[in-house]
Amino acid sequence: MAFLLKGEPMIVSRQIEKLIADQEGWTRRMFEEGLKIKKLYGEENVYDFSLGNPDTEPPETLQRMLVDTLASPVKGMHRYMTNSGYEEVRLDIAEYLREIYGLPFTASHVFMTNGAAGGLNILLKVMLNRKDEVIAPSPFFWEFKNYVNNHGGTLKAVQSKDDFQLDIDRIADAINPRTRAVLINSPNNPTGAVYSEKSVTDLVALLNHKRSEGQDIYLIADDAYRKLVYDGTGLPNLFASYDLTCSINSHSKDLALPGERIGYIAISPRLPDSDLLISGLMITQRTLGFVNAPALFQRVVSKFQRTSVDIAEYQRKRDILYDALVEGGFDCVKPRGAFYMFPRSPVADELKFIRALQQDERIMVVPGRGFGKKGYFRIAYCVPMSTIEKSIDGFIRIGKRFIKR
Amino acid sequence: MKDSSWIRAMFEEGEKMKKIHGPGNILDFTLGNPVVEPPDHLKEELVRLVSSDTAGMHRYMTNSGYEDVRTEIAEYHRERTGLRFTKDHIVMTVGSAGGMNVVLKSLLDPGSEVIVLSPFFVEFKFYIENHGGIMKLVETTEDFHLDIDKIEKTITRRTKAIIVNSPNNPTGVVYGQEELMELSALLHKRREKGQRIFFLADEAYRKILYDGITLPDVFGIYEDTITVTSHSKDLALPGERIGYIAASPRIINLKPLMDAMIFSNRILGFINAPALMQRLVGKFQRNSVDVLEYQKKRDVLYNILVEAGLSVVKPMGAFYIFPRSPITDDVAFVRQLQKHRILAVPGVGFGTPGHFRLAYCIPMDVIERSRQYFLELGLKISR
Repeated sequence: MAFLLKGEPMIVSRQIEKLIADQEGWTRRMFEEGLKIKKLYGEENVYDFSLGNPDTEPPETLQRMLVDTLASPVKGMHRYMTNSGYEEVRLDIAEYLREIYGLPFTASHVFMTNGAAGGLNILLKVMLNRKDEVIAPSPFFWEFKNYVNNHGGTLKAVQSKDDFQLDIDRIADAINPRTRAVLINSPNNPTGAVYSEKSVTDLVALLNHKRSEGQDIYLIADDAYRKLVYDGTGLPNLFASYDLTCSINSHSKDLALPGERIGYIAISPRLPDSDLLISGLMITQRTLGFVNAPALFQRVVSKFQRTSVDIAEYQRKRDILYDALVEGGFDCVKPRGAFYMFPRSPVADELKFIRALQQDERIMVVPGRGFGKKGYFRIAYCVPMSTIEKSIDGFIRIGKRFIKR
Repeated sequence: MKDSSWIRAMFEEGEKMKKIHGPGNILDFTLGNPVVEPPDHLKEELVRLVSSDTAGMHRYMTNSGYEDVRTEIAEYHRERTGLRFTKDHIVMTVGSAGGMNVVLKSLLDPGSEVIVLSPFFVEFKFYIENHGGIMKLVETTEDFHLDIDKIEKTITRRTKAIIVNSPNNPTGVVYGQEELMELSALLHKRREKGQRIFFLADEAYRKILYDGITLPDVFGIYEDTITVTSHSKDLALPGERIGYIAASPRIINLKPLMDAMIFSNRILGFINAPALMQRLVGKFQRNSVDVLEYQKKRDVLYNILVEAGLSVVKPMGAFYIFPRSPITDDVAFVRQLQKHRILAVPGVGFGTPGHFRLAYCIPMDVIERSRQYFLELGLKISR
């Protein structure tokens, strides 16, 4: 009874306590150091590139619709609906999905969720049995690991190539009889990479090969950044090439509504037994406590499937920052989408570099180890252009200090 | 899954019947989806909020929710309880279903036990099992109040929490100060031995109370108390998914628990409670939909059931009533009701066979029209 000696018994779940200790250690330190610096120099003199919280506002047409909807309220508009969401909303979205993917999506293939994070959790809970494995190309959005763990699964991170495209051989090696799903995120957080037609074709060939051997592996596409692609880059149509595909969609980025928690799961019309999967989602949506996606924003987003915030603006930001960093000697893969950049740190221990940026230049970024890849750092450039412009010299100065040659 | 499907199964059968007989001819008492609308000034405030030019209204905020909203809610709690609530005792959640999952994920390890009082809202079982816990059911007394002896016998070293839902779904019972004090004394006994058992109060129906009764202040009764609140019922916003967790300022070593709940809110995929609705409900803590309207409905329905000769405990809150089924087989009885075009949920769906639940958050005329059927049924039973 050692715990009694400490005075008060433990009250928090040991599992959660351990997760917090493992994950929040350096994040918290960074965050707290950042707060100190902000206090010391004033918020406007700190260049914060650490958060994927865009400073953009939702499209004006959307804001107007929100006002109109609430100004002429319809009876019952804030009540419960079926767990998958309003049928007319799902019909609208299905029509859009038919347009972009060329497959016969119906309302039943669309499941409204509390953003992508909600969508991933309810889907993983349906798919996973205890100890099932989910493969994620690395670097990866760390929360994926938590989401998979929540439902008894294990995330297997598989290193991508140097250009952050999929390493199919490594993925093939990582597959075993317990592999239940491959979870990809393109445009990617943290690298900004968009998987090429070849990357995707090879992955699908591998998964189809496994299927022919009797192992069904789901392909889960986290499409949270789907509309944020630059230079006219096209996204490969996964639904057309692989039957066991589900995509996770969010309106946090394309419609700038992250705080409202709205998105949806699109389920391939070709997925066998999709009825069973959908019944499962109805249950996990409820039992995990979501119950349904927020009612008001379901109605709003259904009318804005073809809309997006201004991508040209993000592209300009990427160009200015990328060009300056490369000019300054940084080694960086040019992002094709999302609003992240993942340069190599000029020193192997990226924490050293990041600390120098923070303390000497008041620039805040996230270490690569937060995404499973040490020696890199992530810049979230969804910040005002002036922040980017004012910070560039700082990046270069600290870069010069560490870059040899 | 088998237990939980009753509400939905009855609902689906009802939908079929509505198609055959026309929706106007079906008296549907199955779902706790109120027909009332949010208060008018709440709707006005919503319009004002979305019309304002405030930048960043729809962005992420800290995972626990807006500071000013939590401050408003803390103030309301200080008022009610006299305890020193601050914003740091509040986490905004996706309704109470979201809140319950967050609390349980933060407290439970595999094998931890959680006591639930039966009859009970079956979702509790899933919420507990989602996070590796084991539900321990304890029956309540004949009139659905706390059976302290039975609770005591069920507590083990693994007991981590007891979920108390008052006003109660499905019975409409409101637990009194005295029985809650007894429960508190029982939990204190364990505490003296070094075990912390949390009192987890699901207060989703907190403001729906009848005959002028007040809800005992659970924060004053027991130290290790966490309440989960929803604005689905009191502000009629169920589809918007907004509520909050309030943890007692009297909890010793609270900080790690608050951190755990904020972390769980994130990793379970809620991230934060919907932004717009947070801003809205902060200002409406003292408001409620018209409770008198519900009370009238309770009175009418209760009198009908008594007149029909059914044995029933009079609800003091929520909008449910849980009569005893006149025949042992509650499923068979619910089927009989169906023949009279009345839709109800059998007690087995709440872990208590031999009863059935009627949700009366429906138009008054539906309740009134049910009278003749219940009376006919009553005659049949007495024959």
